[in-house]
Amino acid sequence: MKNKPLPFGFVLAASLLILFIILPVLVTLFSTSLEELLTTITDRDVAHSIGLTFLAGGIATSIGILLGLPLAYILARTNFPGKSLLSGIVDLPLIIPHTAAGIALLLVFGRMGIVGSPLSKIGLFFTDSLPGIVVGMMFVSLPLLVNASREAFSSVDPELEQVARTDGASAWQIFWQVTLPLAWQGVLSGAITMWARGISEFGAVVILAYSPKIIPVLIYERFQGFGLSSATPVASLLLILVLILFALLRWLARSVETN
Amino acid sequence: MKKHTFLLLVLAVVFGLTACQPKEKTSLVIFAAGSLIQPFTELEQAFEQKYPEIDIQAEYHGSIQVIRHVTELHEAIDLVATADQALMPMLMYEVNVPGTNQAYAQWHINMATNALAIAYHDNSKYADELTEDNWWEILSRPDVKVGLSDPRFDAVGYRQLMSFSLAQSVYKNPDIFYDFLEDQFTYPIRLVDMGDMQIIRIPEILETTKSSHIMMRGSSVALISLLEAGEVDYAFEYESVIQQHGFRLLKLPNSLNLGDPSLEEDYGKVTVRMDFQRFATVDPIFKGERITYGLTIPSNAPHMVEALQFIRFLYSPEGQAIMQQNYHPLLIPVVVNGVENVPDELQSLLDLP
Repeated sequence: MKNKPLPFGFVLAASLLILFIILPVLVTLFSTSLEELLTTITDRDVAHSIGLTFLAGGIATSIGILLGLPLAYILARTNFPGKSLLSGIVDLPLIIPHTAAGIALLLVFGRMGIVGSPLSKIGLFFTDSLPGIVVGMMFVSLPLLVNASREAFSSVDPELEQVARTDGASAWQIFWQVTLPLAWQGVLSGAITMWARGISEFGAVVILAYSPKIIPVLIYERFQGFGLSSATPVASLLLILVLILFALLRWLARSVETN
Repeated sequence: MKKHTFLLLVLAVVFGLTACQPKEKTSLVIFAAGSLIQPFTELEQAFEQKYPEIDIQAEYHGSIQVIRHVTELHEAIDLVATADQALMPMLMYEVNVPGTNQAYAQWHINMATNALAIAYHDNSKYADELTEDNWWEILSRPDVKVGLSDPRFDAVGYRQLMSFSLAQSVYKNPDIFYDFLEDQFTYPIRLVDMGDMQIIRIPEILETTKSSHIMMRGSSVALISLLEAGEVDYAFEYESVIQQHGFRLLKLPNSLNLGDPSLEEDYGKVTVRMDFQRFATVDPIFKGERITYGLTIPSNAPHMVEALQFIRFLYSPEGQAIMQQNYHPLLIPVVVNGVENVPDELQSLLDLP
């Protein structure tokens, strides 16, 4: 395969950008010794916080799948007035600054909020609690899942669904046995992106739930309260975990492409 | 194609313009206690209007954090104001600017005072029952949400604990401290009774338990929005801050509010210590005393002249009025520590009536 000639300077510009991304990551990783990393992994609070973060991201993604796949399917398969408005609404969390999202969520899910107030009667609280973390993560990361799933559903040939329909399959059977099996890799890749985006959320979560501390909040508190030397090992550990995760995601995405 | 090029050009020009705004102003970096945010924001506006060539960049944190930014994080800061003047001799006089023999500060002004109180609102649970004599009992109820600020970072944080400890002797009830705090943190805050001295010990990791009815934040002003949103029923705040925000205010008795200079001796019977190395070289001990705010210019301040200008503005009739309107009057006549080291430019303040 022969490369096409590139406009002058493109390689330089691209290299600079790549360096801009990779350099901070590498510097952080190499500024932590293996020993510090080990102490950090065994630090009870860090381990607890990582567990909490991943769990909350998992719950948020699960709810996202449950409510988001139907929406993605509707957007992929049907046409109706107001559809572009609806997809605009789905994208809204991407452009709302996250601290503003946190305040908006607090006004709705807080103890005095229209949703939070009735739910507090049954003991479900959204401030300084796991449900609050989940809500914060979900809000900011949902568009990633919905949009990826929508694209995955769209890429499934409608003719296949049509064939199933003439064979007498119900709409639910078609979704479950035809569309989803063909789109699952795209959906999964969307779910992993949503999860990864969810666990990295700081702004929206910190307004709802400062504690229990998810890992981004813990890093911020250690940085603010105890300094760089206390925060860097935690940041390195998180970077490593996320890099592993991301490698997995890329691998998945690539197998989607080759299919 | 042409359209694209045009669009790109427009974008480049827009970003270019925003990037090279004329910036000839001198910046004056102020780090101050969170409880000063309202009056200092007003001071900033008034000051910048009077001196348009100066741009104030202010940050507000818990008072311990404010000092940390100067002496541990070595940030270039021009003016420091804390809610506890004692932090200055303890953490700034004793520590040298790296690479010099010069302490971070050798003087400070006792700027203002305050009193600790309880902020609440109409929807606070048991608000109608709350009095000066039962607040500690109501705050200890498991269904009451109480906002505390972190004693590792913030002056209200350790002062509210002092109040609980002092309350034990004032109300002649040895259980008040633990009734409120027991089982609220994964590692406990302990009260050590030394007879005529009470020592409160703070663990390095301070994390509320799952079932806790306490919500903790890094500084007392961070609890304001929790009060406003109804997330907490009660929070410890300074009287000035409660009045600025118009919350309901429960005054604590003078023997507990750390605001009465004649009770200094009683306040001194309680101290707060950290069970860990919080600062590189100093092991801070927070002794109960009348709340006094401290103001100083770090010796390594890059904009000494502008910082002095700000202090003079603060003590001008206009500055004094702003503080007064925010329920936080300056202490006048001016009292300084390390009077021999006070810059000449500030000598005139000492003559204020």
